[in-house]
Amino acid sequence: MSETAMYNVSSSPHFRQDLTVGRVMQNVVIALMPATVFGIIRYGFHAFMVIALCILTTTVTEYIFDKIVKKPNTLNDWSAVVTGLLLAISLPPAVPFYIPVIGGMFAILVAKCFFGGIGKNWINPALAARCFLLISFGTQMTGFAVDGTSGATPLAQLQAGETINITNLYLGTVPGVIGGSAICLLIGGLYLWVTDGITLHIPAAVIISFTLFVAAFGGHGFDGKFLLANLFGGGILMGAFFMATDPVTSPITTKAQVFYGIIIGILAGLFRVFGSSPDSVSYVIIISNMLTPFLDKIPPTKPLGYKNQGANGEYKKAGFPKAAVNLLAITFFAGLILSGVYAMTRDKIAVQQMNKNAASFREVLADAESFDYDDSISKAVTEHAGTSYNEASFGRTEITDCVVGKDAGGNVVGYVISVTNHEGHEGDIAMSVGIDTEGTVTGIAFTSLQETAGMGMKADEPDWKAQFKGAKTNEFTLNKSGTAEPGSGEVNVISGATVTSEAVLHAVNAALGFYADNIA
Amino acid sequence: MSATTFKGGVHPAEYKELSLGSPVEAYLPKGDLVFPLNQHIGAPAKPVVAKGDHVLAGQLIAEAGGFVSANIVSSVSGTVKAIENRTTISGGRADCIVIENDQKYELAPGVGTRRKAEDISDEIIINAVKAAGIVGMGGAGFPTHVKLMPKNKNDIKFVIANGCECEPYITCDDRLMQDHPRRIVDGLKLVLSLFDNAQGVVAIEDNKPQAIKTMQEICAGEPRISVQVVQTKYPEGGERNLISVISGRDLHLGQLPADVGSIVCNVASLNAIYDAVYKSTPLMERYFTISGDAVKNPKTVIAKIGTSASELVEAAGGLKDGATVKKVLCGGPMMGIAMGTLDVPIQKANNALTLMTTDPVEEAEKVQTACIRCGRCARVCPIHLVPQMMARDAENGDYEHYEKIYGLDCISCGSCSYVCPSKRPLMQTFKQAKAVIMARKKAEKAAAAAK
Repeated sequence: MSETAMYNVSSSPHFRQDLTVGRVMQNVVIALMPATVFGIIRYGFHAFMVIALCILTTTVTEYIFDKIVKKPNTLNDWSAVVTGLLLAISLPPAVPFYIPVIGGMFAILVAKCFFGGIGKNWINPALAARCFLLISFGTQMTGFAVDGTSGATPLAQLQAGETINITNLYLGTVPGVIGGSAICLLIGGLYLWVTDGITLHIPAAVIISFTLFVAAFGGHGFDGKFLLANLFGGGILMGAFFMATDPVTSPITTKAQVFYGIIIGILAGLFRVFGSSPDSVSYVIIISNMLTPFLDKIPPTKPLGYKNQGANGEYKKAGFPKAAVNLLAITFFAGLILSGVYAMTRDKIAVQQMNKNAASFREVLADAESFDYDDSISKAVTEHAGTSYNEASFGRTEITDCVVGKDAGGNVVGYVISVTNHEGHEGDIAMSVGIDTEGTVTGIAFTSLQETAGMGMKADEPDWKAQFKGAKTNEFTLNKSGTAEPGSGEVNVISGATVTSEAVLHAVNAALGFYADNIA
Repeated sequence: MSATTFKGGVHPAEYKELSLGSPVEAYLPKGDLVFPLNQHIGAPAKPVVAKGDHVLAGQLIAEAGGFVSANIVSSVSGTVKAIENRTTISGGRADCIVIENDQKYELAPGVGTRRKAEDISDEIIINAVKAAGIVGMGGAGFPTHVKLMPKNKNDIKFVIANGCECEPYITCDDRLMQDHPRRIVDGLKLVLSLFDNAQGVVAIEDNKPQAIKTMQEICAGEPRISVQVVQTKYPEGGERNLISVISGRDLHLGQLPADVGSIVCNVASLNAIYDAVYKSTPLMERYFTISGDAVKNPKTVIAKIGTSASELVEAAGGLKDGATVKKVLCGGPMMGIAMGTLDVPIQKANNALTLMTTDPVEEAEKVQTACIRCGRCARVCPIHLVPQMMARDAENGDYEHYEKIYGLDCISCGSCSYVCPSKRPLMQTFKQAKAVIMARKKAEKAAAAAK
């Protein structure tokens, strides 16, 4: 009885919307363009290369993986491009070129392809790679130096209690990741929403819950400037609009999406207020990605015809989803415990840190029995944290710490100022400088010195260091003919290590400057 | 009145303009007329004629085979050539009465007799509708006389004339509303006369301004009838959604519209009710659209029930020069059934043939990817289900959870498949899941009965 079908036979519907996964992903790329273009204009060719390398790596990796495991080529779904671009613009602009390459490979191979490719990955590949890079290449990933000048990120400034320029933050003209422009990210997010690329449930839930949390626990209340600074800095916007909304790793139903957004907002707020890492949003979203399977267990809203209807058609008040309540409670308590532990250990950590350095403190301020902090001096230190102290005079030198030395009777005998100079021949030079109450240098010691052996390393020889001791001067000068007397304010250059000598002098002079400005 | 609508739904391209402009003419079939006995929901009809019998147009040839069943009348005069098993328009097989057309169109005695308004009673209406073999002509094919006899007569608040016609390409209801608004309104008034507490609402999508204008003019003097313009969106004409939009009440799986106080009739059915009651004319012909990009002169014709689909394509000028037909649909592209052959007869509930030179399904299969969990399917589902979860359950064989998330409430509108960027065959999966669950339930029932 079989009759040959003359025409194609299939199940309805016979129309399909002109929308493919490729189109969906291309739309995300378009939405990321404002932030990308801004980043390239601001950070120049190096940033462009980082982006190009990252996308090249993700696409080539996926292509090769498909070839190896004999899967059909999946590049035309554009998801590798989105992953590459997202990862690239969440990198600092000055990262070495191996960072985007390693990150791109990790994102595609480990976070995506190993789990079965698009739609099967359970954490966002770009975020996974970013976290992997943060852990593996901490220094490169958090160095936001641009044009040779290092600057603190707005969040670091915020954590140090400084006021920051919201307008610059809004525009993105502050140290940060390549795609850090808040206005560009907002434009992109709105574009995605208008073109039906995302719904606003997740971004709105993230932003509102985060803002409320920071307002409640951030210590500044509903201070608009403080809240905006927190919103525009530190990846909240990129996270809310582009990372958390990744459909593959976020819940399906709008109800679950709202809870998911709230969890991200609260966790990000917790980490922001009580934590120490400005990169916490990446971790928060990864953690929340892992909660997605549980959030998907929240029963969907009852369909048409069942709302407020009991089994027998009687009116019933809609209950609150239990699973979501439990998850929220767990999130909240875990956060509270985490922050409690942090608060309890914060002071101890500081004390331990001080004990560790106490050896070098005693070395440079021998008269002191104990060391303590002075609030007004510490405030001066935090005010300049992360920035060079009077760069015009002392080069790229940071004041990192200052303690007060006291004798057995509790009388102040002097101060130890910790300084780090970034202009050593081989990198940073960190040292402690002891100054007594008269302003006389009582000694210097290195806490980090990695200069050239036999040349720059000679700075650590007792004889050379002794030249500083006993000098009462506003500024040490370098004597290049080797005729300087110890304690005179003149220091003989280390032969063959002028750079190191100058760096050490800058560091000591910065300490003296800080002493003159804030203590004397 | 402003256009109201439901939450969800999709906006497929309409292509209504293809067939809307041509004048509507009656098409007289040349070949045999074929009447499948199962062309309605419920029990198949039982033949009351035998091979070799001479029949007249409008003569009963098969009577309702149960309470939920419908009569079938011949649409032409001629000779019963055979009663045999044939392929029907849905691709299945069914017993059919085959009538050789004598081209005389002799009417059976009594057909066409005018009935006066004052002679009409509830009983006469029901009997006339039953005798005429009227079924839901919007596609479902539910026997209309059954629909008109709900147990809770006094609870019926709305009688909805469904003129939404939300399927792309199809324009027969639009044309009918423009050409014969009076008949539709008179049919609606007949139904309203059965339900004292009900008001009549003619629901029309806002892409049919001419039909809206015409119906509004006719309804202006009718105290119990209003025209409700609804948004052009698929599936606006779906019973569950239309009832929600018009009456504000929702029905769920297992409920009939009457359970929530509504009766929904397609405008073509109302036209047939008018014919049956006022003119003693049974359901022999209907407005029928032949359209699609493969058709030379897309148009709506008045087609005799039982006419071969291939003849109707010829009635629309045949195929465009050089056009290769990839897909033929009984109905429109959203819920229409793909036909393997055109050599099948049209039935009472069929409203259109759509011939396409492309097959979007075939194209979609080429770019199918894994689900990216974007949730678009859930956003467009007019019943507010979560197709993504249903598909996952169906693929995992977790039918228990499938039922728990109300999977069986799926109305097979196909909006989810239409919108899916990964091109997953969602609706197809749900049809299969439903079939499996129903089969299991049946088996369980049988096992329980055997104990």
